Amino acid sequence: MTGDPLFAHGLNLAVWIILVVKVIAVFAIVMVSVLFMVMYERWAVAWLGVRHGPNRAGPRGSLQSLADGVKLFFKEAFTPARADKVIYKAAPYIALAPAILAMSIVPFGGTITVAGHTTRLQLVDPPWGILFFLMCSGVAVYGIMLAGWSSGAKYSLLASVRASAQMVSYEAVLGLTIATVVVVTGSVHTSAIVAAQHGGFLWHWNIIHTALIPFALYSIAATAEITRAPFDLVEAEEEISGGFNMEYSSIGFALFYLAEYANLVVQAALITTLWLGGPDGPRIAGNSVGPLWFFIKVMVLLYIFIWIRATLPRVRYDQLMELGWKRLIPASLAMLMIVAGFQVGRWWGLAAFGGSLLGFALLLRAIDVGQDASAMEVQISADAEIPSGRGASS
Amino acid sequence: MIAALLATPQPMSVHLAHASAWAVFAVGAVLILSGALGVVLLRNPVHCALMLVITLFGIALEFIDQSADFLAAVQIIVYAGAVVILFLFVIMFLGVDRRERFMREPFRGQKPLAVILGLITLAEILVLSRVGNWSTGQHGVAGDLNGPGENIQKLGQSIYTRYLLPFEMTSALLVIAVVATVVLARQQSRAPSELTKDEQAGVAAAAADKAEAKR
Amino acid sequence: MDQYLPIVLLLVVALAFAAGSFAASKLLGPSRPTGAKTGPYESGIVPQAPVAARFPVRFFLVAMIFIIFDIEVIFLYPWAVIYHQLNTFGLAEMAAFALVVFVSFAYLVSNGALDWGPVKKLARKAPVNLTRTTTSTVRRVPRPDQLIDGMSPRPVDSEPEPTAEPVGAGAPEA
Repeated sequence: MTGDPLFAHGLNLAVWIILVVKVIAVFAIVMVSVLFMVMYERWAVAWLGVRHGPNRAGPRGSLQSLADGVKLFFKEAFTPARADKVIYKAAPYIALAPAILAMSIVPFGGTITVAGHTTRLQLVDPPWGILFFLMCSGVAVYGIMLAGWSSGAKYSLLASVRASAQMVSYEAVLGLTIATVVVVTGSVHTSAIVAAQHGGFLWHWNIIHTALIPFALYSIAATAEITRAPFDLVEAEEEISGGFNMEYSSIGFALFYLAEYANLVVQAALITTLWLGGPDGPRIAGNSVGPLWFFIKVMVLLYIFIWIRATLPRVRYDQLMELGWKRLIPASLAMLMIVAGFQVGRWWGLAAFGGSLLGFALLLRAIDVGQDASAMEVQISADAEIPSGRGASS
Repeated sequence: MIAALLATPQPMSVHLAHASAWAVFAVGAVLILSGALGVVLLRNPVHCALMLVITLFGIALEFIDQSADFLAAVQIIVYAGAVVILFLFVIMFLGVDRRERFMREPFRGQKPLAVILGLITLAEILVLSRVGNWSTGQHGVAGDLNGPGENIQKLGQSIYTRYLLPFEMTSALLVIAVVATVVLARQQSRAPSELTKDEQAGVAAAAADKAEAKR
Repeated sequence: MDQYLPIVLLLVVALAFAAGSFAASKLLGPSRPTGAKTGPYESGIVPQAPVAARFPVRFFLVAMIFIIFDIEVIFLYPWAVIYHQLNTFGLAEMAAFALVVFVSFAYLVSNGALDWGPVKKLARKAPVNLTRTTTSTVRRVPRPDQLIDGMSPRPVDSEPEPTAEPVGAGAPEA
């Protein structure tokens, strides 16, 4: 069951050719979907804002993102004088690689047989399974962190501090909610997760099996993890004048942009895989339409991402951190225990639910006490700064 | 290489499997050693931390080579994805990143001690690799990792049945870490006279940095 | 181990693409660096001081707490994979572990270590200062006979202003 059957008979030339074709195909899927996504977003945001989107390059402006990309090749690439040269050059690579690699574990459909070799429509199904994605999002932090630090500019550094603390915080939520899926499925393999949701439109999907809330938590955390609106504090122009990639020009900037949108597409694909049944859907003409269902789900999710960006204002940094640590992490931990409880029996599930309520009460009290402690600290430091004069209470 | 592959179209020969295992081992070893040397020899602390990440990736490769897939994942997710991130936070955002200060060694006689300890460790490893199969894990008490079944499942069965107590004790370790973090972070500021000699030197260095920045 | 081969290949393709893009940009783009271009961008203002050195301690706390949750998450996966075999025993053992981690998390929160709120919001919650009394708060208006020439006020009180306040005490709004 585990692993791609392609490797069952060792590596010969035909296997190598299939392998290279698959690798190129996945890379092309990421690239084309990024090009498409940039356009899709600009059209959709324009439509939501009742204005014209791009409409010059190509029919209805459909070549606009390609034109933008080509333009960036002709721009000057310079290195800031204060930059740490080596890391400044390496950061775009570090940002791009995990974004593209994460796509490799996404199953697009069932299996196909080419020249006697059966292979999955999935680049790779390593023993790590979904942990591979957690690794990618862990490494992705480095790209942003190092880009901001190595630029040698104040605002880049501020943005990268913000971004890395944000990504790290929400990674914990991703890990906890994915663990909920693994509890239900009993396997870390994305192929097994998809197989467990197969058959019967919607009713076998994890979104139902885990009672909806972990899906919502995961989606919020994923939006924050890829620093999309409304959590795009990394590039809050009015506060920090740019973002972690402010000092990058030309292709360096383009690669960060590419990584950002690749992350977005990968997240949509992973949400589909983990919660929405992957390629599962109503059966039309046998099983061959799986990739089509997958594609439709990803498109809908991407539209929702755009819709959220067009609708919600950016959150404040303290709101972001409080949401992540004081709401999402405890909630995802509680949901994990509740789902695990209901897996072994109804009364165990209810017991876990009761325990979670107690935990919730404890947490509310802890938050209250903590705010008093912080307030005291604020007052003490205010009094200490201005020894004779107005206290913080005035 | 393609010719060789064409020549062996049927089941992968033992020879080839061995060769790829050796290749992975060699790449991992090179990564580990170059990373470790980089940590010691480079001047900029941020570069050192990144070299540590390279070492960790090398160790992950060696784990994969030993079919310990889950440990490889842990190696990258926990060590590279969290611990070194913390190191980098401290290095980058406390402003010690510009240049390291070699004011004086915290321990007297640190370098000879390091050399001696290193030699002892090396000797231990060499002896243990000869005595029995300690280093190859064949006498492991938890059972064999080879054979059918998934790596992560076997690990789970081992941790959550036989090694349950150590697992639960890990949570106590985590509590200690949290408490220590809070205590260290909430330390009240002290008067200059209460500082140790090293701390006074650090304050002086920071003041010098500030003066230099103003200039 | 073969299962990792496609990942390596994809990594090579991705890195080659990035390297190729950089090479193409070097060939196609101009290179005329000036001091203004290579200086740090601060919205058109010439930077006065180097990069700020220090950041709030909360950032380190977040990184530290993340390690703890990361370790818990990593422990969850082997558990989740065999959860159906462990059954209620598995639920109990993970509940015990999660409880301990959660309590330490609550301890952290109750110390205000994860409070990022704006100073104003936190200060508003400050406990009432008991040393504040009417005399320390109400501004004393001079009576007409205390005015010099009926115009400008004399110093209200001849008693000297308190020079040093105890930490945490409200100061008079004289």
